[in-house]
Amino acid sequence: MKWSDRYLKKMKSAAEKEALDNSISIEVKNLHKSFKLPTERSWGLKQAIFNRLKGVKGYRKQEVLRGISFDVKKGEFLGIVGRNGSGKSTLLKTLSEIYVPDSGSIKINGTLVPFIELGVGFNPELTGRENVYLNGALLGFSNSEMDEMYEEIVKFAELEQFMDQKLKNYSSGMQVRLAFSIAIRAHGDILILDEVLAVGDAAFQEKCNDYFKSLHGNQTVILVTHSMENVMRFCDRAILIEDGKIACEGKPEKVTKAYNALWQ
Amino acid sequence: MIKYKNMSIDSNLFSKRNRVLLGELVKTDFKLRYQGSVLGYLWALIKPLLMFAILYVVFSQILRFGDKIDHYPVYLLVGTVLWSFFTECTQQGIHAIEQRGELLRKINFPKYIVVLSATSTAVINVLINLCVVVIFALISGISPSWSWLLVPLSLLELYALALGVSLLLGAINVKFRDIGNIWDVLMQAMFYAIPIIYPLSMVAERSALAAKIILLNPIAQAIQDIRHNLITTQAETTWGELHFWAIIPIVIVVAVFIVSIFYFRRKSKYFAEEA
Repeated sequence: MKWSDRYLKKMKSAAEKEALDNSISIEVKNLHKSFKLPTERSWGLKQAIFNRLKGVKGYRKQEVLRGISFDVKKGEFLGIVGRNGSGKSTLLKTLSEIYVPDSGSIKINGTLVPFIELGVGFNPELTGRENVYLNGALLGFSNSEMDEMYEEIVKFAELEQFMDQKLKNYSSGMQVRLAFSIAIRAHGDILILDEVLAVGDAAFQEKCNDYFKSLHGNQTVILVTHSMENVMRFCDRAILIEDGKIACEGKPEKVTKAYNALWQ
Repeated sequence: MIKYKNMSIDSNLFSKRNRVLLGELVKTDFKLRYQGSVLGYLWALIKPLLMFAILYVVFSQILRFGDKIDHYPVYLLVGTVLWSFFTECTQQGIHAIEQRGELLRKINFPKYIVVLSATSTAVINVLINLCVVVIFALISGISPSWSWLLVPLSLLELYALALGVSLLLGAINVKFRDIGNIWDVLMQAMFYAIPIIYPLSMVAERSALAAKIILLNPIAQAIQDIRHNLITTQAETTWGELHFWAIIPIVIVVAVFIVSIFYFRRKSKYFAEEA
């Protein structure tokens, strides 16, 4: 592609972004994503040269997302469900711009805070406090923004006395509680959560449930889950993904029914 | 007003967000590097000094390489300090993406930050080590001169080269892990192809051409320039020996740097899938 073309394309996509309706948080249009899976030991220089000489591709194309389109309204709590390997996580990673889509477009209105996994970058040799700031920096928050959130995070995690201890001395429950508190206290316009709800003991669970209910209507959330109970409890709307396409979309009751029908 | 936060902000190299993240990663690397060792961060100082002691005994006292050069021990120290800076920088930098693969698969941020933070420890080390060099220089009777002010320029050139190599080979290394090993061996060979432990005059005595070719290597050029400006004008520089052709090492550095940035930018989109 010529430089001028590339520049024009950039301008065009910027213009399209501007056109996004203010009441929409995320607009996904006809999203396609495939991966190149190495067929055999095609890792390494020798095999690559070998394959090139023989004209062998050395990989197989796996289409994971095949044309997904949906909107998320501002303040909506959207659930995404589907079997293992149906493409849910790939969709989330594409939304979080970890993967580049093959084709299609994603428009995002506001700041997006993705939690593909809790405690990204957590290091056992650092203290709880240091980990909170490191995690925050990875999510795109400045130190002063983290200063504002810090007290709240620690309070929600109920770890006030442990913040200057190294993370390796935390119990696994404590670690997850800290990571989860960062996730839900991070003030972004859009929150993306990948199967991270079942955390901590019963009391902490209860607290999280209350918190999610209180979010209703105020925060845009996309939640990937296998728990139909959570879909019914929290979501305004849900999407069932099957084989890289949207198989069912609508009210949680309807999608739950379709999901359960998958196993029959 | 609609606020967009496009996370693919490679174009905004030094935005606030990126600076904060770089700062946090550097802090983390720095804290973790020497953790659990009794002497802790002192190792950053002790290691090159011990290395220097060995080279000094072997090459200055036993083999007597430096008899014709003033302040040969300091001359030797500068060489080893700069060489270990370059090797540490590139070795950390090349493996950075591969080692942080776990992170890249979970969150999107500009990938060059990973490489920058990986090389940062080497940068901090070389700055501390150069302070030691200056102290040694003053002790051995070298008086400060205006030419010292040129040293940071050569240092910057060396870092630009190390960063360029790290970005370029690091990006290739994501897919072809052989690159890291090849580079290690190459650096071993390079160590002898650069006048670090031997003075260039030893080569020039046998073959003037070979000495000139050696000086075309940007690493050799930078090290010789720093020696020339810091310690003794006896150190041959590329400019002094080759005049107009002294542009070649500079062209190499600039070319490597530019190519690496373009290549890295193009490939970095797919690191999450491949690392």
